[in-house]
Amino acid sequence: MGNHQNHQELVRKVNMYLDNELSKEAERDLLREIKTNPAYLEVLSKEKSFREFIKSRVHRRKVSPALIQSIKEKIRIHPS
Amino acid sequence: MFVMADNNLEEQYMKVFDEEFYPHADALFNFAFNLTYNESDASDLVQETYLKAFRFIDKYIQGTNAKAWLFKILKNAFINQYRKESKRPTKVDFEEIVSYHDEEEPNRYSGHIDLREEIYQNMMGDEVTVAINALPVDFRTVILLCDIEGFTYEEISKIIDIPIGTVRSRLHRARNMLKESLKEYAQARGFKDKRS
Repeated sequence: MGNHQNHQELVRKVNMYLDNELSKEAERDLLREIKTNPAYLEVLSKEKSFREFIKSRVHRRKVSPALIQSIKEKIRIHPS
Repeated sequence: MFVMADNNLEEQYMKVFDEEFYPHADALFNFAFNLTYNESDASDLVQETYLKAFRFIDKYIQGTNAKAWLFKILKNAFINQYRKESKRPTKVDFEEIVSYHDEEEPNRYSGHIDLREEIYQNMMGDEVTVAINALPVDFRTVILLCDIEGFTYEEISKIIDIPIGTVRSRLHRARNMLKESLKEYAQARGFKDKRS
């Protein structure tokens, strides 16, 4: 496996860890590697900051109260 | 399931709407907007979602995952809308809307990007939103469902009807595409990759 593929595999694993999708055993192995290998820690840190960055920058829209009101009225008018 | 007497059903349905369904209206609208890029279409999708939720409320098990249930309805409504607009006579599912493979393209996306760099920190929300919206719909969807709405892989798999393994690989690729797109944006603004 080349360096690039190794790196991508590590990124994939770190992302699964951040998504809480790793098995307990895989999580333990990864955390052990992170503790001993600064390169692993660097990947974890970058991926974590990527998540925070995206979440903090995405503009979240709010539904208008008029729309909710209109939905409520329609449900009342047309009960199934 | 709803097991109360008929005269209490409407009252109970409204309680479910108030307590379990309406609190997700902003998240649904946000998702709908990111699928359609249009406020009016997003409003129509949200309205259709709630009307369908009411029509099929007997299929909903009270106290379960209302958010995932509503998102699945919205996703299906979006597909139906797409089918109507494209006037295609044959069945179209979510997979057919997309034009990208889920297979990895290992050499295309480097993933080497450090968002702690000052240039990225100065990026505004609009630039990130534009980068997300520029992703093909299937990749955009998994990013929104996982990174913005916080759904698990299993929930995403159920919402968009794809295997968990596909959710995993699609997310990996979507994040790499997003990093690449943000990097290109930063480079266009004069940021130099320090690795070269």
